Amino acid sequence: MRDDERNAQPKEEKREHEALKFYYTPTDEARPEDSESNPHAKGTTRIPEVIDALVEEFGDVVWNVESYAGEDTVFVEKEKIREVCRFLRDRDELSFNYFADCGGIDRFTEDERYEMFYNILSLERNKRIRLKVRIDEDDLSVPSVSPVYRAANWNEREAYDMLGITFEGHPDLRRMYMPEDFEYFPLRKEFPLLGVPGSLPLPPQTPEGELTMDPFAAAHGSKPTKSKSYLEPKSDFTDDTDIE
Amino acid sequence: MATAPQFPGLDFGDKFRFWPKHNEKIYERLEAKHAWIEEKRAAQGDGGVPATEWSEEDPLENEMILNMGPQHPATHGVLRCVVKLDGETIEKAVLDIGYLHRGIEKLAESKTYQEFMPYTDRMDYLSPYSNNVAWCLAVEKLAGIEIPERAAWIRMIMCELARISSHCLWLGVGLMDAGAVSGFLWTFQQREDIYSIFDEVAGARFTVSHARIGGVASDLTPRSFELIRAFCDSFREELASWQKFLNRNRIWIERNKDVGRITKEEAIELGMTGPNLRGSGVEYDVRRFEPYLKYDEVDFTIPIRDEGDCLARYFLRLEEMEQSIRIIEQCLDRMPEGPIRADDAKQAYPSKDEVYYSMEGMIHDFMYTDVGTQAPKGANAYHAVESPKGELGFYLTSDGTGRPFRVRINAPSFTNLQGMEYIMEGSLVADTVVIIGSIDPVMGEADK
Repeated sequence: MRDDERNAQPKEEKREHEALKFYYTPTDEARPEDSESNPHAKGTTRIPEVIDALVEEFGDVVWNVESYAGEDTVFVEKEKIREVCRFLRDRDELSFNYFADCGGIDRFTEDERYEMFYNILSLERNKRIRLKVRIDEDDLSVPSVSPVYRAANWNEREAYDMLGITFEGHPDLRRMYMPEDFEYFPLRKEFPLLGVPGSLPLPPQTPEGELTMDPFAAAHGSKPTKSKSYLEPKSDFTDDTDIE
Repeated sequence: MATAPQFPGLDFGDKFRFWPKHNEKIYERLEAKHAWIEEKRAAQGDGGVPATEWSEEDPLENEMILNMGPQHPATHGVLRCVVKLDGETIEKAVLDIGYLHRGIEKLAESKTYQEFMPYTDRMDYLSPYSNNVAWCLAVEKLAGIEIPERAAWIRMIMCELARISSHCLWLGVGLMDAGAVSGFLWTFQQREDIYSIFDEVAGARFTVSHARIGGVASDLTPRSFELIRAFCDSFREELASWQKFLNRNRIWIERNKDVGRITKEEAIELGMTGPNLRGSGVEYDVRRFEPYLKYDEVDFTIPIRDEGDCLARYFLRLEEMEQSIRIIEQCLDRMPEGPIRADDAKQAYPSKDEVYYSMEGMIHDFMYTDVGTQAPKGANAYHAVESPKGELGFYLTSDGTGRPFRVRINAPSFTNLQGMEYIMEGSLVADTVVIIGSIDPVMGEADK
């Protein structure tokens, strides 16, 4: 009963989505050397011939190739990601037909803040490719690859749920894990690890009580009130001042 | 569109409805979804169940929306299936997951690489060891750490035991779903033996956390060798007795045959993985595709079935357990003597002897706990293993500190559930229980 007082927050007609404040960290260019001698490097991720084919077909759309631990990462322009995927899937000598995974990364830089990576396999040619696109904060939309690979459907929904990247042409862009009533994107770097109090109200803890706005009040810094929701039996050890 | 059900004593009035927007969106999606049923029937070439005619009297012949879960004994966790029924046939299905979402990808960003290990136990909690190994291998690839040979063999034995243990649970629970409760007790007896082995090796029965970055925590004791050998011998017989019981069991076969069928093309298109993909005739196993540990040095076959129905997946998983025993026996025979962790204080924990009896050892232990492995800045790497459920991969990005900058988990149950949504459409509502059992999703992993 006293819990409710603690959890009760000023009631508003409509809770406004409050933008989270944060500061960018300064970054310096990272250039990890490609270690040829990585003990876990696999032959499947070395794909010079695929990169050549992509450059031949798309030219400047492929703007960078990185290599680490024997894995080639191909950076492409985000507007062309669907065409690149379709090319990889349909060209006979490539036949990247199995979509393994895709996901987003918050790089937390001032420009081109987000990144999407696509992990696609060619089961016939025993090859694995990683495509990457960079996304600026001002324009969070990326062409969806779900029309090309149906398996990308849920993975893209997850990226939307966690980072707020939107996918153009996605058949069903709903949140994956969080309920639709949730207004934040938890995998963004500025989202606090302990969550935002009041962002997901839970049912009242007593029949007449208020909604539980923050189940982890103590973790969010609110001081415990002196009174308890239950009455401790009096004994030599109970502190009398604790009981009202 | 759907009104909230009114239960006596649970009426919060206007104050509270359980995440109203969320439910509305799910029902909207269910309405908007394309019904594959007709195309699917045409493609599979069988008449299937004819669409029922509209009848006012019989509720079973009407269209109806049914919510299964999230609390449902047959959903193997907190999976919610919202299905639109046409009579007894599922016309459209929408799965709602996230009821076990703990945000471990976010949590990992504030933990050192070693600290994150216990969280991986709780992803696919039916085979914790595979997840430990998957995580360790990904970190080792990111930081370029080589593990000693003996550690690789130990990891392989334990991974295969974890596979057997996971498949045992699948079989037991699957049998129980189909009505045979005694099967559950038999498979759990075998799981119990595997728990005893884990107890002897790792000191924990269930959430083992035994692998370490750069090796494993402790060497196998002579008694654990005995236990593993004894298990291999007894399990072969046990497996044979299960096959004798089930392979020609009329109820089991009729319950599984032609149920939840998925073709080769569909399985690839939907990104199914693990036994569900191989059950449809696709030859994809990470142990062959990109061999890790010592899988390229042992002799084993990868079972494939073409039918793509629940029965095919049953035969395939039983065969996989047999192959696992084969791998374990080879590992036991070929395991060399030697160290079990990399001998570098920046890459792995020092041994307890060093920690207790030398100053450097203690400092190294402290530093490794505090800072841990550091991968080069900007490095990123993906490493996948074949977990019992399929391809389990971690994609890691490093910012040069002892903590990962971003962890991306490619969870097999997640991808399999996506395919299951499609498999369920067109099947009978009574078969969903069997289908869920045969796809074998674990919500701890799918929900991250």
